[in-house]
Amino acid sequence: MTVLELTSNRHNPGIDPLLNAWGWEIAVYLFLGGLVAGSLILGGYRVLKSPRRQAGESYPWGPLLGVLLLSLGMGALFLDLGHKLSVGRLYLTFQPTSPMSWGAWILLLVYPAMLAAALLYPPERVPFGNAPLARVRAWSEWVHARPRLVQGIGIANLAGGAALGLYTGVLLGTLGARPLWNSAILGPLFLISGMSTAAAVLHLLSMVGANAKQDSFGDLLLSGLVRLLNKDTGKSSMVRYDQSFMTIELALIGLWMIGLLTSTTAHRAAAALLLSGAWAPQFWSLVVLTGLVAPLVLQHFEFIGRIRHTVIPPLLVLFGGFFLRFIVVGAGQGSHW
Amino acid sequence: MNAPFFKYGLFGDDTSLVVAFAIGIAFGFFLERGGFGSGRKLAAQFYFKDMAVLKVMFTGIITAMVGVYWLSRVGFLDLSLVYLVPTRPLANMVGGLLLGIGFVIGGYCPGTSVVAAATGRIDAMVYLMGMVSGMGAVGFAWPSLEGWVNANALGPATLPGLSGIPYGVIVALVVVMAIVAFVAAEWGEVKSGGRALAEQSLFGVHKLTRTWGLFLGLLGLAFVAALAGSPYRGPRVTLDGNALGRTAATGADHVSPATLADRLIAGTNEYRLIDLRSPEAYLKDHIPGAENVSMTALPAALWTPTEPVLLYSEDGERAAQAWLYLKARGFPRVSTLAGGYAGWREQVLSPTLPEPKDEVARLEAERERAIAAHFGGAARIPLAAAALGLTPGVSPAAQVAPTQVASPRQIATPPPQVVTPPAPVAPAAPSASGAKKKEGC
Amino acid sequence: MSNNTHAPQPYWNPYLAGFGVGLALLAAFVFMGRGLGASSAFAAFAGAGVSAVAPEFAKHHAYFADYATGNPFKEWLVFEVMGVFLGGLVSGLLANRTRLTIEHGPRWTNAKRLVFAFGGGAIMAFGAKIAGGCTSGQGLTGGALLNAGSWLFMGTMFAGAYGIAYFVRKQWT
Repeated sequence: MTVLELTSNRHNPGIDPLLNAWGWEIAVYLFLGGLVAGSLILGGYRVLKSPRRQAGESYPWGPLLGVLLLSLGMGALFLDLGHKLSVGRLYLTFQPTSPMSWGAWILLLVYPAMLAAALLYPPERVPFGNAPLARVRAWSEWVHARPRLVQGIGIANLAGGAALGLYTGVLLGTLGARPLWNSAILGPLFLISGMSTAAAVLHLLSMVGANAKQDSFGDLLLSGLVRLLNKDTGKSSMVRYDQSFMTIELALIGLWMIGLLTSTTAHRAAAALLLSGAWAPQFWSLVVLTGLVAPLVLQHFEFIGRIRHTVIPPLLVLFGGFFLRFIVVGAGQGSHW
Repeated sequence: MNAPFFKYGLFGDDTSLVVAFAIGIAFGFFLERGGFGSGRKLAAQFYFKDMAVLKVMFTGIITAMVGVYWLSRVGFLDLSLVYLVPTRPLANMVGGLLLGIGFVIGGYCPGTSVVAAATGRIDAMVYLMGMVSGMGAVGFAWPSLEGWVNANALGPATLPGLSGIPYGVIVALVVVMAIVAFVAAEWGEVKSGGRALAEQSLFGVHKLTRTWGLFLGLLGLAFVAALAGSPYRGPRVTLDGNALGRTAATGADHVSPATLADRLIAGTNEYRLIDLRSPEAYLKDHIPGAENVSMTALPAALWTPTEPVLLYSEDGERAAQAWLYLKARGFPRVSTLAGGYAGWREQVLSPTLPEPKDEVARLEAERERAIAAHFGGAARIPLAAAALGLTPGVSPAAQVAPTQVASPRQIATPPPQVVTPPAPVAPAAPSASGAKKKEGC
Repeated sequence: MSNNTHAPQPYWNPYLAGFGVGLALLAAFVFMGRGLGASSAFAAFAGAGVSAVAPEFAKHHAYFADYATGNPFKEWLVFEVMGVFLGGLVSGLLANRTRLTIEHGPRWTNAKRLVFAFGGGAIMAFGAKIAGGCTSGQGLTGGALLNAGSWLFMGTMFAGAYGIAYFVRKQWT
């Protein structure tokens, strides 16, 4: 007499697999993708507002950095792919209903937009290779002579950035298999978070690139993108933009959680995973407190001039932005119906 | 509402880490505000230049002490559930001495080094590396340290408990002592040339400053505490005697050794196993996963009141007493092992096998033998059956000394045609001790 | 708005800071039924390090076995110490006290200071592990709970510190 016990409920790993297919690579890809999307949007806005380079500013490195970071992100995605040689097939077809297909094409199209934006702001001098620089400057002048083209580049950057930023969230949102990701807010959340990380990177760049004579806080920030965002006043700063992005981000996280909590049991369980469950320690401490609340408080005091300006708040923003993706990817795979 | 919130099940393990982070932020913030992010300021304590360490540390101690006393006294906090690091006089003193030496040489203590590293002190970052390396080195030296570190341990011991002086009186004495120490420290600062800010000073100031306001408040609360009695909770739980009686009569809270054995093998045991016997008996043998807890340490050792607990003692008598004790302390989910450890030995480790009259009985015998072997015991065979040679695969050792606990290797594996229960594996390691929550510093 | 107007602010009144520390400690008692600590978090990291390098050795070692199964990022004290770091960081920045420096007295060098910091940290690890806690876990927590062992600990800690202070005075004064 043989007794065989068959597990027929959800403890059977074949029925309800714990998906751990996505690790840090996807989080890195989403983080860098969001960062590039944010810098595209800020860059596009900059192109529309003022297509000319201002003396001594470090902004023009933004688009080039975007190219580099996006390539890194795609590299991480490529590492994650199971069938690395099949990657070419994504470009042999276009599937209007597949977010993966959309993503592949968006990624391909934002490269020229970023390179064109970079072309608008050629550096004044480079350590070597002055002859190629002269040619680049000539092309740049050729583009500048055509205002319609400049406008087009600005719009392409804005549109490409919005598409890429939304896509990083929508990619997860369309995977209905995971209740945590089953929310329309994920797209805007990742877009705004990407813009805050992009503002933080430009902020860092402007600080690293600032030379000794720019000792005032306002000048430091004005050497960045901000000068164009708000040309005439010396008061406005990148910090302010980063502040507003982070405030919107906090509100979106709140909306996302409220949306999940007022939905089905599975959605509530998914939200609880972040709010009080297995991912709560990381979510609250790394994302909410370290990545959002702490930089908001610190930048507020920097902005009103009470405290010294340091690189720490933008570093905290980047830290929080990465862990937001890491935790959403990880916790999403832990949530199930 | 009952505190500690965590032990009353208000939130779980995961949320407790969020609480840890939030409390840590407050702790780090106030340490930095007090100047504990600077090694020079910390070390100045030991040259009588700046007594900030003493002031911050003892103000913290008396604030929390008076707070704990009053929150417990009014019945909000259950003081017996607050974890106390066990007292080991020799180890406490030797360790304290080393810590003091390390403090002045290194410039920080572990908590302040984190704050100092956060505020950019490179020496604090190096200190942290030294400490992590040291922690690794302690690990390798631990086997030779362990003996004397754990020697003459007193277990959880408080000053009021050891001295017999009422808790509140000691609270008042400590507050008075701290204020005297602060005044003396400020006098020392003045003498050694360190400058005491008048606004912050307790020494030589004749008007009521904010600092004096704080200390007069603490003093007042402490003096009333001296007269207000014990902070420990009395029997505050309302017990339904009839319900207790019914539970006892029906045996609804009894778990039989056989049931427990099955659950342990299947990995479905949800009880926390508490062994109430002496440490010697526990070390000799115990149910896998059980923790050895003395009766007095019982409420504090339990993690949360809502956790299911299974108590056992040698014959069940002490477990029954502990059962009533815990019920009276407000632990609803307490059960006892029917028959105690004696019952476990009798029914699981060395059961008397049924006569293998037919196939069903034979399978049952094999099952019991396999369970006994799983837990490192040996089944006893009825003499008649043994004489008839009807129980294949039993080693002579098990027959000669039937009640003796034999190692599983002495027992032959059951015949392969038996499919239930699972084949005996090595006795399960007491995994509960690994998963046990660490609460010390 | 230049940097030199942002001089470090003076420290708080130590009694007020101590009161804040006491309230944080009280919150730990009320919420968790346990006190604050620090040293065990680093023991968890050291343990995790050893079991990452040599998992089999760690599993059967009397001391490292405790850490071999656990994830240091699921430890209460590890999260508390991470919070301490953030709290110290924010407080230091808000008071303009954050500087990348090495602290020592005028008669000492940076290199000697770093060697002493490392050595002091290692001695501290032994002291904390033997005593069953550090200044936070034994001193503050045990002191507030009137733990008998903690008061013994505090006595010898101050004795040890004052005893050695004379011999390393050049480091600090």
